[in-house]
Amino acid sequence: MQREVGTLPLAPALRARLAAAGFQTAQELLDTGPCGLSKEIGISREEALEALQVVRQECHGDAARTAGGSGATRRCTALELLEEEQSQGFIITFCSALDNILGGGVQLTKITEICGAPGVGKTQLCMQLAVDVQIPECFGGVAGEAVFIDTEGSFMVDRVVDIAAACVQHCHLIAEAQQEEDHRKALETFSLENILSHIYYFRCRDYVELLAQVYLLPEFLSEHSKVRLVVIDGIAFPFRHDFEDLSLRTRLLNGLAQQLIIIANDYKSAVVLTNQMTTRIGQSQSTLVPALGESWGHAATVRLIFHWDNSQRLATLYKSPSQKESTIAYHITPHGFRDVQPPAAAHSTEGTEMNPRKRPRTEEEKQ
Amino acid sequence: MAAKKLRRAQLSQEMCERLSRYQITTCQDFLCLSLLELMKVTGQSYCEVQKLLCKVSRACAPKMQTAYEMKLRKSVNPSSAFLSTTLHSLDGVLHGGVPCGSLTEITSPPGCGKTQFCIMVSVLATLPVSMGGLDGAVIYIDTESAFSAERLIEIAASRFPTYFDSDEKLFCMTRSIHLYRELTCCSVLKRIMSLEEEIISKNVKLIVIDSVASVVRKEFDTKLQGNLAERSNFLTRGASVLKYLAEEFSIPVILTNQITTSLSSGPAIQADLVSPADDLSLSE
Repeated sequence: MQREVGTLPLAPALRARLAAAGFQTAQELLDTGPCGLSKEIGISREEALEALQVVRQECHGDAARTAGGSGATRRCTALELLEEEQSQGFIITFCSALDNILGGGVQLTKITEICGAPGVGKTQLCMQLAVDVQIPECFGGVAGEAVFIDTEGSFMVDRVVDIAAACVQHCHLIAEAQQEEDHRKALETFSLENILSHIYYFRCRDYVELLAQVYLLPEFLSEHSKVRLVVIDGIAFPFRHDFEDLSLRTRLLNGLAQQLIIIANDYKSAVVLTNQMTTRIGQSQSTLVPALGESWGHAATVRLIFHWDNSQRLATLYKSPSQKESTIAYHITPHGFRDVQPPAAAHSTEGTEMNPRKRPRTEEEKQ
Repeated sequence: MAAKKLRRAQLSQEMCERLSRYQITTCQDFLCLSLLELMKVTGQSYCEVQKLLCKVSRACAPKMQTAYEMKLRKSVNPSSAFLSTTLHSLDGVLHGGVPCGSLTEITSPPGCGKTQFCIMVSVLATLPVSMGGLDGAVIYIDTESAFSAERLIEIAASRFPTYFDSDEKLFCMTRSIHLYRELTCCSVLKRIMSLEEEIISKNVKLIVIDSVASVVRKEFDTKLQGNLAERSNFLTRGASVLKYLAEEFSIPVILTNQITTSLSSGPAIQADLVSPADDLSLSE
């Protein structure tokens, strides 16, 4: 109630008038009432009433926060967070080595960034994740939908059809091996058509469209509450040209990162971004580093770097708050993103330890 | 979309006037400001500004499609998805031929046949659909002055003697190949920007740029500071316009590139300019 008038989210002109009239705290405003306010400041009664409603809402929000109430507050204990994290699902990538170094798969409520040279498999992984997020819960998935924001135009529907068909077939094989009722029921809705209908695709041609789309995402996600994955394929591409003023670019990118963090948390979805590589020319040598500069490196929680070693594709976990840095090899097959060799039976037991929601899988018949 | 005036974003007249006093006239200007700056500029409260942001965003944001709708649209017209190169093994590897709607890059050391390939594909694009062509015109942007019209006629006559049985048919084909000689990066970019209208007016079904590397290598010496940024600016600008054209009109775009040596441990200034890895930002 002692909140200063200057910090209230009112129109700047109104704030200036209040300051000129000598009001200092929110309590004074509430005590004056709408009629008194309108006479002192010279605004209409309706405007005064609106302003007072905003003030009241803000103060109640503040009070709730200080009293430890629920609602808009984001406060909880570490124990509650631990329970939440343990019960949360991961989005598997079908490459068990990659899932292992990520701690189970792509995490919900976190931003994962995938950097790599062209052609190494970033878009392939994104398409794989857009299909994998839809795997029903009884097969170890999160049964969600996916939003795919494409800035480079590299989304190929035919490829997604291939990946989805392989995924459906894989689930059929598991269901046949295990013969459980809920598997059969889940498979009725897990068809190619359904998978494709739940990938929401946006093609953004420049950074303005991308900014606009991210501003509209909260509304979209409230309407489509089953979305558990937001992919932005090519966050670097629209920002690498037409920017003479690099500070504007940094500001826009930081704003974008903040909005994505809020979206990831509020709507419990994973955000996956792909980034390009650029050459940094040092004193005596050049190295490939992720594009968009140093400050962008702070935006993502988890950073994966894909690179080549002769003809083998490798993925390095470069930045993660809970897993250690490691490198694994992966493969891109006609069925999608896969391990280099078929995983041994030991892997399936490891999987159950890491993710209690996953039923134990029999040895992978695929690949 | 970015240059859309705020007037057309359904903002009120007085709001637009007020914003134009701060030189904010397009959606791009509006969306580049932070929330606090917007509050100052519009004189509205926080909630109102957020509503305005949503309004302006709705005017610029792309339309949503599901992957299923995209697949249905593609399956309606499968034959127009590729331009067959008539080289069976190449078509097999490419799953049908040069894909329409995306950029394809051809790169090789000098003398391997990039320009010859481009000339042949130009002939193929002018053929009727029944013969595997696209039945349309071709825009050929030549930066090396390597295009030879005589060679074009030679290829057409010997490859398809039954179709090009008269001079009349040959000349008709040559009339539909529009050649532009551009010798600087700036003019190449300007030409690419102006292509949209040409594509519609001339019923263009193929764009060939031979070659991007030669203009870039002539003008941008990466030994100089700042050139790397400018060069990448030019390349990505060109790439995004070409991608837009390819997708909008569902036509193939073919670019050629040159080969350079990449020295793995040597200094970057010697490893050079437009290695295929660099230029892949232009292709799919």
